[in-house]
Amino acid sequence: MAHARPIATTRSATGIPTPRLAVWWILASEVVIFGGLLGAYLMHRIGHPEWAEAASHTQTWIGAVNTFVLLTSSFTAVLAHQAAEKGKGKEAAKLLAFTILGALTFLMIKSYEWTIEIMAGYTITANTFWSFYYTAAGLHALHVIAGAIIMGFIAVDAYRGRELHRVEIIGIYWHFVDVVWIFLFPLLYIAK
Amino acid sequence: MSENNEQRDEQGHDDGHHVNYFKIYVILLILFAISVVGPEVDELTGLRWITLITAFGIAFVKARLVVNNFMHLAWERRIAKWLLASSLILLLLFVAGVAPDVMNHEGNNWENVAAKQAVERGLAAASGYSEEEAESEGPVEEVIAAGFSAQNSFGQICATCHGVGGEGDGIAGAALDPAPASFIDPVFWQGRDRDRVITVIRDGAAAVGGSALMAPWGALYTDDQLEQMADYVMSFRPNQ
Amino acid sequence: MADTLAEVQKQEVHGHDHDHHDQGFVSKYIFSTDHKIIAMQYLFTGMLMGVIGGYMAYVFRMQLAFPGISVPGFGQVSPGEYNSLITNHGSIMIFWVAMPVLIAAFGNYLIPLMIGADDMVFPRINRLSFQVFFVSSVVLLLSLFVEGGGFGGAWTSYPPLSASGDYNLTQLGASLWLIAVALEFVAFLLGGINFITTLMNSRAPGMKAYDIPMVCWMIVIASILFMLSVGPLLAGAVMLLFDQTLNTGFYDPARGGDPILWQHLFWFFGHPEVYVVLLPAIGITVDVMATFSRKKLFGYKLVLYTAVATGVLSFFVWAHHQFIAGIDPRMANVFTVTTLLISVPIAEMLFVMIATLYGGSITLTTPMLWALAFLAEFLIGGVTGIFLGASGADIYFHDTYFVLAHFHYTFFPIAIIGTFCAFTYWFPKMFGKMMNETLGKIHFWGTIIPFNFIFIPLFVLGMGGQHRRIYNFEHFPEIAGPEYFQLRQIATIALLIMLAFQAVFFFNVVMSWWKGEKAGRNPWRANTLEWTTESPPPHGNWPVEDLPTVYRGPYEYGHPDREEDYWPQNLPG
Repeated sequence: MAHARPIATTRSATGIPTPRLAVWWILASEVVIFGGLLGAYLMHRIGHPEWAEAASHTQTWIGAVNTFVLLTSSFTAVLAHQAAEKGKGKEAAKLLAFTILGALTFLMIKSYEWTIEIMAGYTITANTFWSFYYTAAGLHALHVIAGAIIMGFIAVDAYRGRELHRVEIIGIYWHFVDVVWIFLFPLLYIAK
Repeated sequence: MSENNEQRDEQGHDDGHHVNYFKIYVILLILFAISVVGPEVDELTGLRWITLITAFGIAFVKARLVVNNFMHLAWERRIAKWLLASSLILLLLFVAGVAPDVMNHEGNNWENVAAKQAVERGLAAASGYSEEEAESEGPVEEVIAAGFSAQNSFGQICATCHGVGGEGDGIAGAALDPAPASFIDPVFWQGRDRDRVITVIRDGAAAVGGSALMAPWGALYTDDQLEQMADYVMSFRPNQ
Repeated sequence: MADTLAEVQKQEVHGHDHDHHDQGFVSKYIFSTDHKIIAMQYLFTGMLMGVIGGYMAYVFRMQLAFPGISVPGFGQVSPGEYNSLITNHGSIMIFWVAMPVLIAAFGNYLIPLMIGADDMVFPRINRLSFQVFFVSSVVLLLSLFVEGGGFGGAWTSYPPLSASGDYNLTQLGASLWLIAVALEFVAFLLGGINFITTLMNSRAPGMKAYDIPMVCWMIVIASILFMLSVGPLLAGAVMLLFDQTLNTGFYDPARGGDPILWQHLFWFFGHPEVYVVLLPAIGITVDVMATFSRKKLFGYKLVLYTAVATGVLSFFVWAHHQFIAGIDPRMANVFTVTTLLISVPIAEMLFVMIATLYGGSITLTTPMLWALAFLAEFLIGGVTGIFLGASGADIYFHDTYFVLAHFHYTFFPIAIIGTFCAFTYWFPKMFGKMMNETLGKIHFWGTIIPFNFIFIPLFVLGMGGQHRRIYNFEHFPEIAGPEYFQLRQIATIALLIMLAFQAVFFFNVVMSWWKGEKAGRNPWRANTLEWTTESPPPHGNWPVEDLPTVYRGPYEYGHPDREEDYWPQNLPG
């Protein structure tokens, strides 16, 4: 560690440890980012009933499998937190590794899904519905990738018994990514 | 080093919450299954609202379960709940303020012609015409095609130089040399006919040996629209 | 709670190792995680961008006053270049000058010092935020030199003009501009996390919420406003970028999109944004006024709650920028009411300033002059906003120079006067030397007087019907007469004078830094914690075992129980 942690980090006037307070603020700003995008999509979708035709070509079953994958990865993430709370670094690392595996599975299934759709001609410019679809799902996928990478670093630390409090933090972020998908799934796949 | 139980109080959690994460996970899966099956039931029974409830209603319930139990928001200090709530409220404010403009395609005195056309085209395409036919050519041409009026177009594009009355007195034309043509001047019409008008509009005056200040506008008009524009310009011509 | 904090502190009292010996220049100044160095990096980048933005103003004002001339230091200004200059002037001044200087620079510098902390809680994220910001500045400047030139579609970047290179003729410039703005947003989201969590959590023992200096509160409230309003625009910017580069149809009505959506996305952020920059400037002004009136701030809680109310209300006024965009007139009614209403809390804060000054023992130092000027000039800006907030009047005024003069009478006090006020006040702390007062006053008057001569003519021109974003008024006979051009020339010449006087400032900075009188810890005899440590503060701000404890509020000036007319926060009893 090249930089020692400032004493400022150890104080907590609100009672919430600083890293967790920070992640709640990050989530608040992400809510408005995703919410803005999905709100814009929703308003257009309601005003453009003819998008139903385009929307009917989303692969609901693939989306459903991905939902299952993310839900399960959220479960392993919270179990990792439970292990970290008890001081079991190696077990937390193992559970985080499963979560990352879930993320990778999600991304692979998504790549497969998008390949099918693009080859069938449903590209990002085919129709504004598809533009929203790829943008929203793509923004979400970016957050999955970022989350998985950070989770990797935290898992390595946890395996060595260090910085275990960070397991909870990345967990909270990960659950948020799951919640966004919980809303994306009906919006893009079910509401036809 | 590693966290131990004594420090749990300092983590801001209420003590003694024991969530059975597995139970929550199972409930989430069951809700998920219902939400996937919902639209199938919807199709069978024809009750659209079933989808809305199963898809979106369940989404809210699932989200709440994850947020409360996995993220432990239920046991978190109030300040965290407030700040998340305020971001949600602002989001709703945004949607509420914008929806009347974006979702509607007509109001008391206005009509979003382009959007309505897009809806009609899309619905026509869905009911059988090929996608290629319904493909738009490009935004500017589309809007003009949707509600083309030679008078409107003249007002928007030509009048800035040639004046609304075609007298060559448009405000942008004041600084030009040579001055823009006056269509009410009989001298202008000596040696000029309708075909030449079409050529100049489409290819610019330089194409017929005139000034390059009269730009080519052909990219904006279909052949039919050019004919209409020429007719409109001809309408300024004083009768002999 | 206090017990817990104390326990935790005792455990970690050796947490701040001093393993920083032998840090090379690069790691100490370029890649530092020290909040003071990062603040300096923001400050200097912001000021450099300010010089660039000012240069752009010089060029386009020359063109407006003397159409067609070859501007010295630029050449002849083509219409496309004119559009690009005004677009980038606006974007730079708001995003690359006002925000980095007022929020990132002074927020970074002051917040840990004023709350008695040794650094921000996330020093490495802090460093990352500057790096992202720096990249955004580079991308923006690059956008000016690519093929086609810099983006010219106004800082508001409305589609369809901004969405298609066929319309704006600056395809590459437009995308680079958009990417630069998006990166700047990300930088400030990252920075905001630091400010908010540090203020919320890391206060000195004994420092209750109402003991926090107003400038810290204001910067944090501003960061919260920013974080909660920028989200939809960030989403919208991604959509616009895709329209520009991938030919999607998000804002194309013929393909199911809607350009009005962009307007809403932009202004839902754009309006809170002006309060994001206003509140820190008010915080700075108020702190300076208390110090140089030797008087308690008139209504601390009043100002605090008013600032919060302003922030909340600022989310409800955005469509006043769209009164004539074809929105439902009934919506316009609603937004007129909310817009007029928001002038009340802000007027209240100005009244609090006056009440603080009243009966005070006033010393007219350079920072105090700047604070007083803020009050006077912002007042003018604020009342002219009332005209614009009424949707009926706005039908005439929209897009005229009246709007432009209004927002310069608000933005200039915020970004320029606020910056000079803060800089001249905290210079002794930042550099350990006093600035020259005579040069400071010359610079002050040489800035303020010409400033008024620039923008009052623009109010007159605006009322006369002169529209914005036009590169040559000779084309408009009704406003091309000699009396109109005279006003434009007065404004331009005043700008030249004002720019010339900025040399006095730069000279003062260099000479003071090099040969100025040593400042000592507390040259202004102020109460807040930053004045209890050395000037400049060492790494870690205070010795590790000597971090301050707080016993009272920040504005205890002229207290009857004290012989001295000030009572520092960290002195017991």
